[in-house]
Amino acid sequence: MSRFSIVRLATSILTGCAALYLPAVSAMAQPAPLNGPKPTDEQWHALVGATVVPSPGESIENATIVIRGGMIISVVPNAAPPEGARVWDATGLTIYPGLIDAHVPVSAPRPDPKLEGTHWNEKVTPQRSALDGPGVSDKDRKALRELGFTACAIAPEGGIFRGTGAVVLLSDPDESPGAERREALASRVFDEVSLERNRFGSDQYPGSEMGAIALIRQTLSDAKWRATSVAAHERSGASMPLPAADALDALAPATDTLPILFDTTSELQALRVAKIAREFGRSAMLLGSGTEFRRLRPIIEDGLPIILPLDFPKAPSVESEAEAEAVDLRTLMTWEQAPTNARRLVHAGATVALTSDKLRNRGDFAENLRAAIKQGLTEDEALTALTITPATLLGVADRVGTIEAGKVANLIVADGPLFEKDTKIRDLWIAGRRHEMSKPEDKTLAGVWDVIFGEADGAIDGTLTIDDDNAITIKIEENEVKARSVRMDGPRVSFLADGDKFDYPGVFTLSGALRGDVIAGVFVDPDGDRNPWSARRAKAPAADDADADDAKAGDDDTDGDDKDADDAEDDAKDLAPEPLVTPLGAYGLAEEREAAPRTIAVTGATLWTAGPDGIIEDATLLVSDGKVVYSGPSAGAPRLAADLTIDAAGKHVTPGLIDCHSHTGISGGVNEGTQAVTSEVRIFDVIDPDDIAFYRELAGGLTCCNQLHGSANPIGGQNSVVKLRWGAERPDDLRFEGAIPGIKFALGENVKQSNWGDDKKTRYPQTRMGVETIIRDRFIAAQEYAQAMAAYESLGSSARARTQPPRRDLELEALVEILAGERLIHCHSYRQDEILMLCRVAKDFGFTIGTFQHVLEGYKVAEAIRESAIGGSTFSDWWAYKFEVVDAIPFNGAIMHDEGIPVSFNSDSDELARRLNTEAGKAIKYGGLAPEEAIKFVTLNPAIQLKIDGRVGSLEAGKDADFVVWSGDPLSTLSRCESTWIDGVERFSLESDARLRADAQRERARILQKLLAKKDKGGKKGRGRGGPPGGRDMVDTPPTQAELDYQSWAFEVLRSGGSLDDHRCGQCGDFLDLTLYMTGH
Amino acid sequence: MNTKTRRRVALALPLCIGAASMAQDLMIKAPEQSRPIVIENAEIHTVSHGDIPRGGLLIVDGAIDRVWKGATPDLGAAYASAERIDASGLRCYPGLIGANTTTGLVEISAVRATLDYDEVGEMTPEVRAAVSVNPDSTIIPVTRLNGVLTVGVLPTGGVIPGRASLMRLDGWTWEDMTVEDDMGLMINWPSMRTSNSPWVRISEEEQRKNTRERLDKLDEFFAQARAYAAARQADPSIETDIRLESMAGVLSGAKPALISANELEQIEAAALWAEANDIRAIIVGGRDSWLCADLLKRLDIPVIITGTHHVPRRRDSAFDEAYTLPVKLERAGVRWCLATDGGPFQTPHERNLPYHAATAVAYGLDHDAAIRAITLAPAEILGAGDRLGSIDAGKSATLLLTDGDPLEETSTIALALIDGRRIDLESKQTILNEKYREKYDQLRRQRTR
Repeated sequence: MSRFSIVRLATSILTGCAALYLPAVSAMAQPAPLNGPKPTDEQWHALVGATVVPSPGESIENATIVIRGGMIISVVPNAAPPEGARVWDATGLTIYPGLIDAHVPVSAPRPDPKLEGTHWNEKVTPQRSALDGPGVSDKDRKALRELGFTACAIAPEGGIFRGTGAVVLLSDPDESPGAERREALASRVFDEVSLERNRFGSDQYPGSEMGAIALIRQTLSDAKWRATSVAAHERSGASMPLPAADALDALAPATDTLPILFDTTSELQALRVAKIAREFGRSAMLLGSGTEFRRLRPIIEDGLPIILPLDFPKAPSVESEAEAEAVDLRTLMTWEQAPTNARRLVHAGATVALTSDKLRNRGDFAENLRAAIKQGLTEDEALTALTITPATLLGVADRVGTIEAGKVANLIVADGPLFEKDTKIRDLWIAGRRHEMSKPEDKTLAGVWDVIFGEADGAIDGTLTIDDDNAITIKIEENEVKARSVRMDGPRVSFLADGDKFDYPGVFTLSGALRGDVIAGVFVDPDGDRNPWSARRAKAPAADDADADDAKAGDDDTDGDDKDADDAEDDAKDLAPEPLVTPLGAYGLAEEREAAPRTIAVTGATLWTAGPDGIIEDATLLVSDGKVVYSGPSAGAPRLAADLTIDAAGKHVTPGLIDCHSHTGISGGVNEGTQAVTSEVRIFDVIDPDDIAFYRELAGGLTCCNQLHGSANPIGGQNSVVKLRWGAERPDDLRFEGAIPGIKFALGENVKQSNWGDDKKTRYPQTRMGVETIIRDRFIAAQEYAQAMAAYESLGSSARARTQPPRRDLELEALVEILAGERLIHCHSYRQDEILMLCRVAKDFGFTIGTFQHVLEGYKVAEAIRESAIGGSTFSDWWAYKFEVVDAIPFNGAIMHDEGIPVSFNSDSDELARRLNTEAGKAIKYGGLAPEEAIKFVTLNPAIQLKIDGRVGSLEAGKDADFVVWSGDPLSTLSRCESTWIDGVERFSLESDARLRADAQRERARILQKLLAKKDKGGKKGRGRGGPPGGRDMVDTPPTQAELDYQSWAFEVLRSGGSLDDHRCGQCGDFLDLTLYMTGH
Repeated sequence: MNTKTRRRVALALPLCIGAASMAQDLMIKAPEQSRPIVIENAEIHTVSHGDIPRGGLLIVDGAIDRVWKGATPDLGAAYASAERIDASGLRCYPGLIGANTTTGLVEISAVRATLDYDEVGEMTPEVRAAVSVNPDSTIIPVTRLNGVLTVGVLPTGGVIPGRASLMRLDGWTWEDMTVEDDMGLMINWPSMRTSNSPWVRISEEEQRKNTRERLDKLDEFFAQARAYAAARQADPSIETDIRLESMAGVLSGAKPALISANELEQIEAAALWAEANDIRAIIVGGRDSWLCADLLKRLDIPVIITGTHHVPRRRDSAFDEAYTLPVKLERAGVRWCLATDGGPFQTPHERNLPYHAATAVAYGLDHDAAIRAITLAPAEILGAGDRLGSIDAGKSATLLLTDGDPLEETSTIALALIDGRRIDLESKQTILNEKYREKYDQLRRQRTR
C-alpha cells in the first residue's frame, strides 16, 4: 500500500472515530515490530483553573478541561479533575482553541513527465496531493506553533493546477520506524489553482496571465470532456483502452466536487478567478493577495470565501526628497490601508480565514494581526478567522476549531488575552499532547528585602530590591549599587556588587537561596573572606522608601496611563482614512459621486460630427441618458431643459477619439508569445482598469480603444474593445458591450523572432513562408474541427452516448469563429508581400479581415486590402525603427484612404494615445485630406473597423454621447482637450483634474508625514509592494537572459531620463511585456 | 501648396532615380548659391527682434546681407541679376535646429550594422560625431521636410560618449555638412537615484556605492586630463594620449560639456560639479530642472529640454508634466531650448520637433518663446548663435518660407535654404508616394480601358 493510501486510510479512520478518539496504536493499520518494551501513554490530562474561551465571544471561568486519547472529553466549570488524569494547574491562564492556518504551501513530488497520464504542461498537476511529500517542514511547523497554530491546511506548492490540499495537525511526526503518519485530519480539501506564469523569455506556456487563464479554462473543459469520453468508452464496449490522463481524471467533475482554491496576487485576479469559477460552475475560495480593499465591493459581491494573508507592504523609504520622489501615492495609500483589509472584508460580510502564508517572515504575523485589530478588526473576529472559519472552509469543523467535548484537543494556554502584545503562549496542546512554548516568568524573589551582611557586631543593614526583571539594587544607608551578573534559578540567586560606594573597594561575590521567607547565603569580600548574609521580606517599608515605592508604583500606573493615552493618540493618528477612491491612488474617484446629469446641452460649439453633416459652426449637441439626441446647428436645436449646459462658444467638439491599436490596461503580459498559435488567450480576461495610462489618455480626448494582444506570434490572442470608464468598479465595466469579437494576428519580423537575439532561431516559423503555412494549417484544422463537432452533434442520442465526443478546442474555436465571420482579425503587418498573403488566405477561406494593423506598406497593395479587409489602421508617420519599415511613408494613410479604404491612425503606445487628434492632423499634411475626413481617422473610421460605428465614432442622434470639448481646432497642435465625456458622463476635465491633483498632493503630504514620523520611532523600511507575481522565487533564482537584456535596456532608458512607457510604437510589446512583468502588472 | 501641385512638381523631377534603396538617399544635393537672392513681401519672423509684417531680405554668398521692412528698397545695379522670390502670403523663419539627435549615426535602430553612435568604453572623448555622419542617410531629407535644417549630433553610451557635432542637413560629404566639428563633450551623468524595483538585484547601499564610484571615475578622468595638459605644456616631448588630448576644449572652457541629466540630484550635482571644476555646462534632458531653476539661473547653466511628448515620471504626476516643463523654465528665467528626446529610436522622427514645441504652447508657453526654443535658443546654447537661429544680417541664410505657423502640422514649407542653397524638399518618402500613386493611376487606366 502506498504512503498516500495509508494516510487516506488513517484519515478515514480518524473521520469515523471523531467522537471517540482511540489511541493511535490501536488504530494502526499496519503495526510495525517494536524495538524494545512497549511504551504506554494514556494521554489523560486535566487542565484546571483556567478561563476557557471555547469559541469566540464565549468564556467559562475556572473551567476544567479533560483530555484523553487526544480528544476533549469534557469542559466543565468548577469541576474537580477526574481521578487518574494528570492535572495541570492553569489558574490565571486563558485557554483558547488551537488556531488553524488555512494555507501552508509544502513541497510535493511532481508526476513523471514521461508517464502517459501526465499532462503535457508541467504546471498542470491536479493529481498531486499535499500529502505526497514530506508535509510541513520542521522550521515551518515550529514557527507556526509559536504563533499558536495547532493545525493547518497544506497545499502542494508551484504550478497552475497544483493538486489537492489536506488538513494536518502541527504535532511533530513520530519518527520512530514503522510509525504511521497520524497528523492528517482530512485529505482532498481543495483543488489549488493559480494564475502563475513562466518567467519572461521562457518558451514554456503560459508566459502571460491571460495564458494561465486560458490554460485553466481549457483544462477544466478537458476534464469534463474526459469524463464524457470515459463514459462513452465504457458504453461502447471498445476493447482498446483509452489513453491514460491522470491529470484530467483528477479533475473529473463526477468525482471532483472540491472547491477550487485560487491563489491570487492582486485584487483584480480575485475578480478574474471568480469569473472562471462561475463559468465552470465550481465552488471556489480565494487565497487572498492582501489588496482586496482596493476593490472591496465587487469582491464582496462575488461572495467567495477568502483565506487572507496579512502580508503588509513595508513602509516605503521616503527620508530624502529623492526617495520620496520615487514613490507614488498608490504605493503610499496601499501601505497605509493594508492593515484595514481584513476588517474591511469582514465588516462587509466576507467569509475570511486568516493565514500566515505569503509573509516574508512568518513571525510578523502576530504583529500584523495586531495592526489589523488596531484598524478595527475585533479580537473575536480575529479568533473566528483563525478557528471556526478555517475549520468550516476546510470541512473539519466537526473536529477542530472550538473547545468542545468530542473535538480534537487542540488548545492554546496563554497568560493573557491571546492577541495582546505582551501575552505569552505557555503551552500548545495538539491532539492531546502538550508542547511547552514558554515558562512563566520567575518572580520568586521579586520584592524589597531587609538585608543583613555579616554577623553580629560587624553586621551591616541594608535593603535589597529585586524588580520583576530580576535587576537587583543594594542600598546601604544612602548609597546604592546595582548588582552585576545576576543569575537566578528559582529560589537560588547569585550576583556581584562593587564595594567602592560602600568604602570597601573591590568586588563582592554574593550567593543565596530562599527557604521559607528568608534568603540566606554567603558573600566573598574582596579580601577573599567568606561571610554570611540574609534577607527577609520588608514588612512595613521605611517612610522614605514607601514614598519611593509609591512613587514607583504610581509611576508604573502613570506610565501605563500615559502610554495608553499616547497609544490612543497614536491610534487616532494611525487610523487609516475610511473612504477609498477607485482606482486607489491619485486621480481615483470617490465611491459616492454626484449623479451625472441626465441631460446635457453643449451649445455654441464648432461641432465636428465625423458624420454626413461634417463640421458645423455654432452647433448644439444635446445628450439625454448617455445618448446623443441632437447634433446640428443651434438654430434648429429642439428645446431641452438640460440638467447641465456647457457653453462651448469658441470651442470645438468632436466625437470621443478611438484608438484601434492599444496595449493600455492589460495585466500580466501583452503577449502569450510562447507558442506560434495562441488564439485561446483573451485580453478581456486581464483588463486592468487601474492603468494610469487610461486617465492620461482621457486627458487627450480618447474614449475607446482596441486592446490588442502583442505581435509575438502569427496567431495571437483575442482582443478587447473598451471604453475608458476610469473609476469603474469592475474590469468588465470597461468593455464595449456588444462589440464584435476580434483577434490579433501578426506577420513579419516579430513573429519570425528576427530581432529577438541569436538564440531565438528554433521556433517555427522563422520565415514569411512559414508564417503563411502556419496560418493556413490552422484554418484547415479549424474547418476539420468544425466538421467533427457538427458530425458529433448530428448523432442520435444513443449513438452519441457510445461515441467519444471531439474535444472542445478553445484555440480552434476562435478560428472557427473567424471562418464564420463572427470574429475579426486585426493583423499586425508591414510589408506588402505579407499583406497580400493574408488577403489571399482570407479569400481562400472565405472571410473578411477586420483590419491590417500598422500596415505600413498598405499603400503598395491598397487594391487587395480594399477587397479583403474592412480597413487599415496605421501610424501617421512612424518608420525606420526596423528593417521591414524602411519603406514606410506618412502618405500611407492618405493613399489607402484615396483608394477607398477606411483608414485609422492608431497609437500602439500609452504616450501617443494621448494625442491622436494631432496624429489625425498629419493626414492633412501628408496627403492633403480635408479636415472633416482627417478627423475620421481617429473617430468614425476606427469605429467602422471595429464594427462599433452604429454606436460611436460620430456625433449623430441615437449614438453614444462620447464626446470631447477642445480649446480650439482639434487637429491643431496648439489646441488642448478640455473635457472628455463617455456615455454622457464626464470622465476628464481640466477643472476636475486640478481638483484631483490638489487632493493627491494633500494625501501624499499627509502620508509622507506619517511615514516620516514613524521613521523617528525606528519604523521599518523596505520595498513597497509592486514586486512581480511569483516574486517569492524571483530573489532566489538567477535572471533569465531576457531579463538581463531588459535590465540593461531599462537601466539605460531610466538613466537617460526616459520612461519605460515611452516609445512603444510598432514594438508591440517587444520590451513591454517584461516591463509589465518586472513591475508586477 | 496643394498636394496635387506638389505631386506634379515631384513627377517633373528626375524620376529615373527610381526608388531609393535601404539606407541610401538618392536625392541630389543642393548646389552652391550662384547668384544673390531677394525674398520680398514676406511676413518675417526674425526671432531676434520681433516680426516684420511685410518685408524682405537679401542673400549673398550664403549669408543674409540685409533685412528690411516694407517694400524692397533699391538694391542697386550690383543686384540687378538677383533671383527675386515673391513671398507674398508666406512667412519667413530661421531654419529649425534639432539640438539632440543621432542623425546620420543610425539608419535602422533594430539593425546593428547601421548603428554608429556608441563606441566601446566608458570614457571615449576621443570620438566625435561628425566623421561618421552618413550624408546619404534616408533620414536626412525626411527630417528637413518640416523645417529642421540643422542638427546637433550627439554620441551616446558610457559616461563620456564622445564629442558632439553641429551639422547642416545637406552636403555631399560630412565635411560639407559640418557647422561645428566639436560642439562640446558629452557626459552622461551617472544616475544618483537608487531603485528598489524588484529587477534591480543589488542593494540600495551598493547602488549608492556604485554611483559614488562612477562619479569618482569621472573626477579622476578630468584630473588626469588636467595633469596631462599641464605635463604636455611643461614638456612637449611627452607622448600623445589622444583620449586625454581631446579633453582640451572642455578643460579650457572653449567647449561646453553637454551633461545628460534628468533627475533633480543629477542636475544639482552636475551643476555644482561644473562650477567647482570651472567647466561650462549644458544640461541635456532636465526633466526635474524646474525644481532647481534658481541654481541653474544663478550659474547660468542652460537646459536642452528633450521633448515634451513623454509620459509623466510617476503614477501621480500631472498628466501634463512634460508638456509644461518649457513654460516652467521660461517663467523661472532659466536659459533653455527644446529638442526631441534624441536617441536612435527617435532620430527618424526628428521632423516632429516643431510639434513638441506646439504642445508646450498648448499648455501655456508663449508662442514666440516656442519658436525661439527651436531656432535661436539652440543656436546660442550650442555656440552657433552668431551664425544661425535668426533672420539677421550677417547670419547664414538658413531659413524657411512657410505657408503658415511652422508649429502647426497643416503648414507646409514652400522653400528651405541652407547657406543660401535651395534645398530639395523631396525624399525617399515623397518619391514612394508618387510611385504608388502612379500604380493606382495605372490600375484605373487599365480598368477604364
